[in-house]
Amino acid sequence: MVDTFHKYIRNSIADEDLQIALDANAERRLEARENAFASLPDDLSTYRQRAKRIRKDVIDNLDRYLEQFIQKAENNGIEVHLAADAAEAVQYVLNIAQETESHLIAKSKTMVSEEINLNHALGKAGYKVVETDLGEYIIQLREEPPAHIITPAVHLRKEQVDATFEDILGINCNNDISIMTSVARAELRQVFLDADIGISGVNFGVAESGSLCLVTNEGNGRMVTTLPRIHIALMGIERLVPTMSDLATMLELLPRSATGQKMTVYTTIINSPRKEADLDGPEQRHLVLVDNGRRKMRSSPLAEGLLCIRCGACLNACPIFQEIGGHAFVNEGGEASTYPGPIGSIVSPGLFGQEEFGRFARASTLCGACRDACPVDIDLPKMLLRVRAGGVTLNSKEEKRLVPIHVSLGLKFYTWLATNAQRFSNGLKLAGNLSRIVSPNSDWLWLPGFTGWGTSKDLPRPSEKPFRTRWVEGHIKDRLPVVPENRRLKVESQDHEDLPPTQNEQDLIHRFGQELTTLSGEFEVCTLDELSDRIIEQLQKLEIKTILSWDETQLPAGLVNDLRAQGIGVITVFDPEIKAGLSGADAVIADTGTLVLSLEKGKPQFVSLIPEFHFAVIKAQDIVENISQIITSDKLKQASMTTFISGPSRTADIEMTLTIGVHGPRMVHVFCLLE
Amino acid sequence: MKFVKTDLGRGDLNQVSKNVQLFITCIIDTLYPEVGEAVVHVLQKAGVSVDFPTDQTCCGQPAFNAGMRSEARKMAKRTIEVFEDSPGDIVIPSGSCTGMVKHGYQELFAEDPDWLSRANKLSQRTFEFTQYLVDELEVVDLSAFYEGELTYHPSCHLLRDVGIDHQPQTLLENVQGAKFIPLPNREECCGFGGLFSIEHPEISREMLERKIDNLIASGAETLVACDAGCIAHISGGLHRRKIEREVLHIAQLLAND
Repeated sequence: MVDTFHKYIRNSIADEDLQIALDANAERRLEARENAFASLPDDLSTYRQRAKRIRKDVIDNLDRYLEQFIQKAENNGIEVHLAADAAEAVQYVLNIAQETESHLIAKSKTMVSEEINLNHALGKAGYKVVETDLGEYIIQLREEPPAHIITPAVHLRKEQVDATFEDILGINCNNDISIMTSVARAELRQVFLDADIGISGVNFGVAESGSLCLVTNEGNGRMVTTLPRIHIALMGIERLVPTMSDLATMLELLPRSATGQKMTVYTTIINSPRKEADLDGPEQRHLVLVDNGRRKMRSSPLAEGLLCIRCGACLNACPIFQEIGGHAFVNEGGEASTYPGPIGSIVSPGLFGQEEFGRFARASTLCGACRDACPVDIDLPKMLLRVRAGGVTLNSKEEKRLVPIHVSLGLKFYTWLATNAQRFSNGLKLAGNLSRIVSPNSDWLWLPGFTGWGTSKDLPRPSEKPFRTRWVEGHIKDRLPVVPENRRLKVESQDHEDLPPTQNEQDLIHRFGQELTTLSGEFEVCTLDELSDRIIEQLQKLEIKTILSWDETQLPAGLVNDLRAQGIGVITVFDPEIKAGLSGADAVIADTGTLVLSLEKGKPQFVSLIPEFHFAVIKAQDIVENISQIITSDKLKQASMTTFISGPSRTADIEMTLTIGVHGPRMVHVFCLLE
Repeated sequence: MKFVKTDLGRGDLNQVSKNVQLFITCIIDTLYPEVGEAVVHVLQKAGVSVDFPTDQTCCGQPAFNAGMRSEARKMAKRTIEVFEDSPGDIVIPSGSCTGMVKHGYQELFAEDPDWLSRANKLSQRTFEFTQYLVDELEVVDLSAFYEGELTYHPSCHLLRDVGIDHQPQTLLENVQGAKFIPLPNREECCGFGGLFSIEHPEISREMLERKIDNLIASGAETLVACDAGCIAHISGGLHRRKIEREVLHIAQLLAND
């Protein structure tokens, strides 16, 4: 009798499209990760230990950090709702939707929303919910659950997506991924502009400032947290870091582990709803903090699983996930758990129940590839073994274990044999003798399929003279031990890399330009005198005559006047039809090709978000090397929101094929002003 | 508790630098006793004399992996008692059993300070076979000879749990006559996983096929590994599919002179 989990596993293995997709995912993700970690300023194990300490500190002192976090967030004007379980969380969202008389809801990706089954409840209550992350959008059209924690459509080939767009949207994309992406962009554009509510997740909450941090690539995360008048953020209570410096450590690890990027295209730090001087941003921000089993798991032997930062690296490293994919992780009724793969095999029973999901942990060879991949150094195999031994009720007399009966009986018998040397020895000899009877002429035993072993292989025949018998009977040949000529290993001394020389401004300019170009951005250096001509040159190439801009007081003196004098229309109020935007930057990071833009008076976010083409003016002296040099700045804690922009928007949600230009700008062109 | 020493002749003991206790492991004991013999010979070549405490049985890993911790504890306690009795270093020709003694026991006895302390003391003088040769005895050349093309499969517990990789590779490099070919995707699990191959035979089969495909792609005639579980799994698959390749435990290679 085969359980549902095994049925789904068999289906996955037999699904050729799925197998091709999963192989491609594993191969590319691993390669990307290896390259990205090479670029870390310090060595990886230092980072991982630091990250583990940070996350462990949070889980160990969760109540204290949560209290601090909530207080700060509320002081900043974010309305915080504490949900004990899924039902409560859903109710909060429904209440907000009702009280604000909303109709259309735009969602960016959040696993917590899957966990609480939010879309279903919103749909039933009559709200229109549109998923805006490309992968989520696709599976919403197909009415499927996500197949992976960070790449929901990993199981699909482009032909399948093409067919879906044809069937549901009536649009022929000619099997071309960039066309499919443009279609998604066009379809969703109006949703962003019309939505009453934007729902997002939160990658990290920062306790010291009450900040919400989101990491995204496509621009939809920025859209839903900036344009609609109401923003609702969903967050698991465990997803905190204590300080902004800790956040920087996480931001250096999460994108690299998840997708091999040094930074995602957009990292957003949100503190409050729009302030009086802001030109954009939502009027209300709500945070729904979800428990839903986390506190219970925290006081269980599986607590280490709560360190997870949802990067998905363990899924990409796991040889079993590579064979069966995310949809195979189902309960007996065939419902997929929100969280599959190695981490899913720990948090699913930890949060939702051992009985329902404990079986996942048995589908592992405990090879440890997941532990190697984990950026916060969670000992996943150890946790999996605890799930096998009863999970939350480890060592309890009432532990429910999902040990199959034949395994349980077999091992009880084996234990009886192994607790007495004579019995053991007799048992081995008996096995050897019996196998000789069964297979008299061969060193091999053929076993039938139902034994498990016999499905794909033969068994070497147990010996009638096991080792211990040979030893006792003195059959092992005497040999005089020889004191060997010692050939010592040459241990090559590892040179610690010299500290890199202090970066001077030229190096930083060069480095920034290099990183930005690698991300498909454009970069040029010029003087202030040359600036307006250079900008006009680019606008002429694009046949653009009007731009959306920051207020002239936030840009180099005289620039806006020069542009207007040469016939360029410069608009500082919101207009979604304008195709180019012009901004400055509050800070610039060379390591990752990043511009940092805070929402403040005269510096609306929409300028760097809505238009297709984003032009940015930076000063060479504002470039720093690394995120840690600016992460503790007050502005990040005080501005209602700040976005770190690293290149044009992108996605690889369809067959892992990179497409530049999704919801955010498809071009970022930076002018660097020399003194 | 009995020790049965091979008769060496008293006078020669002056030459002997060390005495080790061999933990043979249940799979080698029953399926590959010839590997056990090779292990003894290699250790003797390397200058140590070998004891085999005959009361040993199983480290408890299968029960531990199955989630049956009280059964696992029975076997673990027994193992600790058998080997702590004598001061010699313990050598285990298996990465997964070494991992069990060194790390699994810490988890098993986490709430039992007495047994935990005894387990830790034992763990400090417990070594995997290639680790013992290279790191402890500092012997890398066993005057071994093998004509043919070899490739090496690093078993997962050896590689990641115990952290051993350069040691077997160094030993293989010093085998005269052999040509070493790297195994493509070498760090991918072969799909054995002990009970996993019985509880999830479908997935196990897919992973085994991958490993065999990689072996064939390498062009090597012989696969070498340090764990008998992987060896039984891979050679069993090759035999069923009637693909002719030799699969050897590293001890067999090193004993060959």
